Amino acid sequence: MNTRVLRTELKRSVAPWAGAVTLLGGLAFLYSLSGPWWKGPELWTAQWTSMAMWTRSMLVFLWPLAVGLGALQGLRDHRSKMPELLTSTPRPAWQRAATLSGSTALTLTSGFGLFVLVGAVQVSFSAEYQHLGWLPVSLVAGLALVAGAVLGMGVGRALPFALTPPALAVAALFVTAVLRMTLDTVPPSSSLPIPVALLSPAVEGVRQVLLTFSASVHVGQTLWLLGMAATGFALLAAATPKARTLALTPLLSGAAVALLVLPAAPRETYVVDEDAAARVCDGRVCVTKAHEGELAYLAGPGEKALRLLRESLGAGAPAAIRETTALNSPLEPAERSRTHVIVDFADEAVSGARGEELTRVLVGLGLAPTCSSRTWGSSGTDAEAAAQSVAAGWVFGDLRPIDGTMHSAAYQMKKARPAWKKLKALPRAEQHSRIKAMRAAALSCEAQPLEALTGGGSR
Amino acid sequence: MRWTALYVRSRQVPASLAAAVVSAAAVWALSGGGSADPRLPALVLVAGTAAGSIGLGGQDLALDRTAAIRWAPRRAAHTLLIGAVAAAVLLAVQATGEEAATAAFVVRDSAGLAGLAAAGAVLFGAQHAWTLPVAWPAFALFTPPGTGVPAQVATWMMQPPGTAAATWTAVVLAGGGMAAYTLAGPRR
Repeated sequence: MNTRVLRTELKRSVAPWAGAVTLLGGLAFLYSLSGPWWKGPELWTAQWTSMAMWTRSMLVFLWPLAVGLGALQGLRDHRSKMPELLTSTPRPAWQRAATLSGSTALTLTSGFGLFVLVGAVQVSFSAEYQHLGWLPVSLVAGLALVAGAVLGMGVGRALPFALTPPALAVAALFVTAVLRMTLDTVPPSSSLPIPVALLSPAVEGVRQVLLTFSASVHVGQTLWLLGMAATGFALLAAATPKARTLALTPLLSGAAVALLVLPAAPRETYVVDEDAAARVCDGRVCVTKAHEGELAYLAGPGEKALRLLRESLGAGAPAAIRETTALNSPLEPAERSRTHVIVDFADEAVSGARGEELTRVLVGLGLAPTCSSRTWGSSGTDAEAAAQSVAAGWVFGDLRPIDGTMHSAAYQMKKARPAWKKLKALPRAEQHSRIKAMRAAALSCEAQPLEALTGGGSR
Repeated sequence: MRWTALYVRSRQVPASLAAAVVSAAAVWALSGGGSADPRLPALVLVAGTAAGSIGLGGQDLALDRTAAIRWAPRRAAHTLLIGAVAAAVLLAVQATGEEAATAAFVVRDSAGLAGLAAAGAVLFGAQHAWTLPVAWPAFALFTPPGTGVPAQVATWMMQPPGTAAATWTAVVLAGGGMAAYTLAGPRR
């Protein structure tokens, strides 16, 4: 295909529109709305994998539009009443099909590529952890747009009616709407069988930074999309009804193979990215590689908090600080440890605090670890925040609320002050054993730490 | 009568009508006979108006314009009928099962979407008119719920009936789209 043909093709088709819709539609959605992609560590411009996932999640509406615009493209020859003329030329039909689908593929991939580039430029400045593990996510997304558009073209050519493009677009919209996976469970799953849900080219945003797709998901989706593109191309080039029927083979076989390859269980679909979760340490303070940049402000206060904990707890004190790498399910308690202070950057009490304030938070987490399950971007319950503020106050000598939790300072103080007064009224040795009881209660996750602090110790 | 029959045929109304009925029945069957989710009735109305929108232009626009008949009232009636038929199909289908959408919801959405389709026909031609009434709901279907006025305007077809911002958006779209189409006709 030489450039002159391509230029003419671009001028005389909806291909430039398809590219523009992909780029501007995605950007408009992300920038004009405030959603979970602007919040917390899952911010779409914070990490490479998050960026790839959030940009791909836009396929939920971009893909149906690509299918519809492709169908419009496939109808063009019929609309200009020239198929008869074209069949009389000696040039093979697949060459014309290649020109038509090539131009649309070019604009769609450049549109989506630019969209990803907008995110990539921002990520390359902000992320400490540079890697290429996100590329398959975006490559499959680009392939999905091209395959959808080519399938649309093929169907448009096979069924040359004005009704075809809107019908295809609405049907594709219905498919992506029905096949959405839910992020409310961990790992994300679906009410439909997982392999069927994974046939949708879109993904559901990001729930946890360290989660990514397993290799079999990429392989299965690629096979399915290649089958889809092959069917579209064959329909575009087919001239006889028999050839059109045969053209459906790649789509069906692609679907069949994909359903076999795609994982059946949620835990095999989303996996913890081992490279991103690798531990990076500064002394006794460890974070994941994905959050290497946070180590700069965490290390100093971390060491100080560990020293203070050692002084106040003695031999049983946590020996190190590390970031959680567990899947945080809303149904299960958060990760806790007797030997480590576990931090989670989704908790704004940690990620928002610096210096002395952060030391307080870490001491609080060391003495009364958060055990309540985390829902999206939240910290622990109000009672836990109050227990942590009392614990930190006991070490530092003055009671102050923990900033950055979902619970207001006044509300925390209302809960914390009575416990604080009771604790301070006790002799020093008794205070010590109450603090230890609170830590044990929080670690076991079975009793309320504040109750253990005030009265539960005498049980 | 003869004129109407010819007009209906030239605007592919039977095919559109069949597509609207089939898509409504398919959505309803797959959703298990209605649920409280406002996205399903909205999707049915999108399918109905998108199917109807292909008839907003004839086979030969230049020939149409030479006809010595007043197009304006006919165009207005056609736009109104697209909305009315989409609404009627949805109401008929959901009459067989549990009621998912109230009449106010259906009237607001079908009027707004029909206006959007008419605007699409004026801007891009009848063949491409469906892009607007499909693209906006596609965008809105997946928008996270918000309470501000901009969010209500962006997701007007999903808001509960009686939401002022959503109703006014639908009124503006219906009025504006219909007026533009009535006066200007489809783009050539």
